[in-house]
Formats: sequence, structure tokens, C-alpha cells
Amino acid sequence: MNVLEIKNLTKKFGDFIAVDNMSLAIQEGEIFGFLGSNGAGKSTTINMISGLLRNNCGEIHILGKNIASHSKFAKMNIGIVPQDLAIYEDMTAYENVRFFAGLYGLRGTELKERVEEALEFVGLLDKQKSYPKNFSGGMKRRLNIACAIAHRPKLIIMDEPTVGIDPQSRNYILTSVRKLNDMGCTVIYTSHYMEEVEEICSRIAIVDHGKVIAEGTKEQLKAIITDTKDILIEVKNSENLDEASLKEIKGVNSVSIEENVVKINSQSEVNNLNQIIQFFINRGKEIRSLQELAPNLETVFLTLTGRNLRD
Amino acid sequence: MNIINIALNEFKRNIRDIRTLVFMLAFPIVLMLILGTALSSTFDKNIKIGKINVLYTEKNDSSFSAPFQSFIEEAKKQDIHFSKASERTDGKRAVKQNHYDAYVEVTDKGIQFYGSERNSIQASMVEGMLTAFTDKYNLITEVAKEKPEQVQAVLASTSSDFVKEASLNADKAPGSMDYYAMAMTTMIALYSAISASSLIRGERRRNTAIRLAIAPINKMEIFLGKILGGIGINFVCILLVMAFSRFAFRANWGSHPGMVVLLLFTLVFLAVSFGLGLSYIIKTDQGMQTIVMIVLQLAAFFGGAYFRIDNADGFLKLMTNLSPLTWARDALTKIIYNNDLMAALPSISLNIGIAIIFLLIAIVAFRKREGL
Repeated sequence: MNVLEIKNLTKKFGDFIAVDNMSLAIQEGEIFGFLGSNGAGKSTTINMISGLLRNNCGEIHILGKNIASHSKFAKMNIGIVPQDLAIYEDMTAYENVRFFAGLYGLRGTELKERVEEALEFVGLLDKQKSYPKNFSGGMKRRLNIACAIAHRPKLIIMDEPTVGIDPQSRNYILTSVRKLNDMGCTVIYTSHYMEEVEEICSRIAIVDHGKVIAEGTKEQLKAIITDTKDILIEVKNSENLDEASLKEIKGVNSVSIEENVVKINSQSEVNNLNQIIQFFINRGKEIRSLQELAPNLETVFLTLTGRNLRD
Repeated sequence: MNIINIALNEFKRNIRDIRTLVFMLAFPIVLMLILGTALSSTFDKNIKIGKINVLYTEKNDSSFSAPFQSFIEEAKKQDIHFSKASERTDGKRAVKQNHYDAYVEVTDKGIQFYGSERNSIQASMVEGMLTAFTDKYNLITEVAKEKPEQVQAVLASTSSDFVKEASLNADKAPGSMDYYAMAMTTMIALYSAISASSLIRGERRRNTAIRLAIAPINKMEIFLGKILGGIGINFVCILLVMAFSRFAFRANWGSHPGMVVLLLFTLVFLAVSFGLGLSYIIKTDQGMQTIVMIVLQLAAFFGGAYFRIDNADGFLKLMTNLSPLTWARDALTKIIYNNDLMAALPSISLNIGIAIIFLLIAIVAFRKREGL
């Protein structure tokens, strides 16, 4: 069953088309990675799904129901972890979660139990009476998550939940995402950290200029760019290495040199490794290591969009 | 239920904000104490007159001269000193130059009086005494003409006092602490506009607007909850300031607390609606804060919050009448000191009317806007 289905979604701001006829389906139980550089249309799409923005065209269905006519139902089933912290610094952790959960119709004992459950889930139950102004960045991020999950939504949208936190808190959050997924939640996860997406997402969509330009599992996405490979060669001394001559070798697409590491992008079907090694030997450059890299999401993203994710 | 939850949340967060509490409670109380004490002399109901100097000329040698000299002798006992002007002296000019409080010309036809505008109270006293003297003189003259035998009886029946002291009811006007209790309470009610301007904008600034907007509740519930919370916390502060001034400074709030509180409530309603409306009219935070502060400071200044503005004229009068503090304080004065409950109606109507206009602006902008 599709938890979220987007059909021909469009959003314009004046003449600028932020989301351009986008269609997407996310199935129950997925951790869905939503990748795109700044301005690609990710946040606008998320804002339309959560009801913050109105779409110009198209439809959004949550658990089979159109949010235009079932707004309350959709909102009851969505939890958002915004990129920027959305908590009250002058209210305790418990009061924060309690207030936001209360807006979902939870009352009395049920409300108390859900609040404690959410705080326990993010590891802040022992800090429930503390004020967020005394929390570390990671603890605030965890509270930000607790505020989004206390009403037990079916779909959780996490927008850059690990920005600017220490590795320990980051690992905690990634583990929490997996746990939420194990508990039956479907998660939409956006991040600038490609390795996070690669680590936890079961399916990924790459968005550019308001359109989904690629979609599938990690393996499916990597398969898109199997026509090229990266070769990393570390030499003792890269001084006076002639990049232009290296590019003349058959199959080499591009060359970049950083410190004493030479990165060569070459066509997969051309077997030119011998010629490349010969090139270095002929110029008296001692090779210390050689590595042929398998394509990763970063490469996929770069190849498809022409930009790095952090651009 | 959501409205109450949101209102309570707003209330709770404001109570924990020390800066807000200091501003809304300590600031008006301290200002009340300082201004009420420092400017108490300007509200003094007892005026010390002191020595009064009168210049006079006599242009006759009639029978009026002798009684007038008696009058001068009598007046001297009251510390009113008459000096005879020399022939070359311009009496009116001497008064204008503030050398004398009044100038009197005694002729066959009667007495001409010129009082000093600068020392109007002293001049009025002399004028009153002279009027009493001439009335008595005319009466005796008429009686002497018609029934000379009854002159003695008339003289005996009329008092020799030329001025009768009329006691004003001192409690019918506010003293300095009473005045500043009203002034500061109404001023701080108007200052509710500052916190109200951040009611929705504050949620946007801390991103909590996102959580409110994505919750399965109506946008108007959020709006009403925020307004209710904003009015609630500010109104409680006003009541506390009022109670403190009543018990600590013995400020007079009259015997109609219900009407006084209702009037103050509508003033808070006006201020909250004004702040909220302005937050939708002006786009930037800085611009909005600047405008709010300018409007409030002008309203406080011309509304007599810092010092009383009496007998304003022209532009000053216009500005004074435009300040909600003037409407509110005038109405409060009439309720408290004249038991005139109907005096509250114009002020209450204006407060509610203007509040509704700003509220409508905010509602229209709020509904049009995506998110909060």
C-alpha cells in the first residue's frame, strides 16, 4: 500500500517553478531518501505534503486519501521533523512534547503515556523536566524528533535531522530512524550527508529543478552510471605531472590532482589500466597505491545533476 | 479545547519570561512611585497665595474715598497691600511687567480693575474683594437715601468679610499618586501591543509555527488561542499593577471596580489587536518594532503618562485627544471621582471599535497567508 502518492504536483512562486509536475509513490515500511541540492524543490514538496503550502496543480494522497479533501486525516498521520529546531526553549522537554501532542487530540492518561514514550524513544526521559536552553545541540535535535512522533504518525518526514550535531547524537538519531521504521513507520529522509542516506534508505529519489530525475534502490541508482569508473592513484611526488597527456589515454574522461593523489574518471568498457600505469612509470613517478572505486551515491548524484549535493 | 490549550501555553510561557514580567509589573510600579513622589507638588490642592500687591489711583475726592481707604486698611490685614501710583506711573504696564498683581482706578463712576494674567489667582482674589466691597457700599448708599434710619441695621446685618472662603471638595480630583496609578496602568495596558506584535511572528521566528500549522487543527483556533493568551497575560499584569497601587500606594480606584476593570480590559484588547494587526501590515521585524515603539511613546507622551497635560491648545490638544490614554484616563477620572459610569461608554466603544478594525486586518492577512 502506498503511504504517500504524489501525482503531477506543481508549485509556482510567481514565474519560478519550484516543483514541476512531480510524481512519486512511497510504500508502507520504506525509508525513502529524498536527495537534491539546495533549491531543487525538496522542501517545497515536503511543505506541500505537510499542508504548509498549497499546490498549484496535482494531487497528494496520504494512505489513499486526497489531502485536499481529507486534510485532518492526512495531518493526523504525518509527523514532521523540521530542519530548523521547532521547540520552545522556555518550556521543559516534557511540556514541549505534551503541548504538541495535545494538538493531535490526545488527552489525559493516553497523552501522558505517549509523551513519556516519545521522550524515552529519543533518550530524554530522564531530562523531561529540563529546559531545552540547557541542552546540547544533539539533545535539542532529539527533542525535535520526540515532538514529531508522540502522536504515532504513519509517515514521518525528517528534513536534515542530523545537521550540526556530534557523531554520537548522529548515530543515535540514525538508530532511532531504523527503530521507528521497525515499529511500522514509513520515513521520508532528506540529508546532505550522502553516506547517511546510503546507510539507512531503502529507496531514493534524486530531485533536480523540481523534478524527480532518478528513483530506485541504491543498486538501481548506481547501475545508472556503470558506464564510468573512478581510479585513484597515489604517487610519491605528483610534481610536473601533465594532466593533458594523461587525458589523451584512450577512455579517460577527466583527471584531477590533489596533493599526491590523482583521480581519473574513465569509461568502464575501455581496459586502459596498463597504459595508465605505464604513463606514471615512464615519467619516473613512483606509485604508492592504486584503487579502482565502485560508484557511490555521490558519484551518481554528481553524474546526474552535474553538481555536488552540498552545492 | 485547542484554543484553551494554545492560550494557556502562551500564558505559561509569558509568566516564565522574567523580562516581560519586569517590564509589565516592575516598570509601571517603579515609575508610579518615582513620578507620583517627584511630581506630587504639581497636584497639591492647597495653593499658598502669599503677599498680594495692588497699585491704585484715585481720580476724585468724593465721599467714596474714605470708605475705600477703610477697605485698604482692612485688606492690609489679609496681606493685600495697596500702593498709590504716582501721576506718571502707567498702572496697566506695571501689572504687565509683573510689578503688581492688579491695578485699580477709583473714579467718581466707580472702580476699574485690571488683573494680572500671570498671577490670575491673586488678581481674582482682589477682584472678588473689590466686588464685595462695592456691592456693600452701593447697598448702604441706597439705604441711606431711602431710609437713613436703617443704615446701622444694615451695617450690623452684613458681614465685614469681603471674601468668603469656599471649600472645594478635595477628594473630587486625583492626587499625584492617584493620577500616576491611572496613568501607568493605562500606559502599561497599551504596551501590551509590544508582546502582541510577536504573538504569531514569534512562532515563525522560533519555527514552532511549522508544528502549529501542520497540526490537525483549524488555523482560526491557533489565531484565537494566541489572542486569548495574549490578552489574558497582559490583563492579569494590569490587574496586579492596579491592586499593588491600591494597597501599596493607596491610589484611589473609586467604588466602581467592575466598570474600571471593564474599561481597562477593552484597552488591553485594543492594544493586543493593534500589535497583532501591525505585525501583518509591516513586513520586517525591525520595521514593526520601530513603528510600535514610536506609536506607543507618542501615545504615552501626549496621553499624559509621564506628566499631566492641562489646558492643551491647537496641535497639542489634537495629539492629546488622539491618544487612547487620554480617552481612558478621562473616563476613569469621571468614573472614580464623579461616579459617572456612563462616561466609560465612549472610551469603551472607541477601544472595541478600533480593536475590531485591526483584528479584521490581521484575520484577513492570516487567512490569506500559507502556513501561519
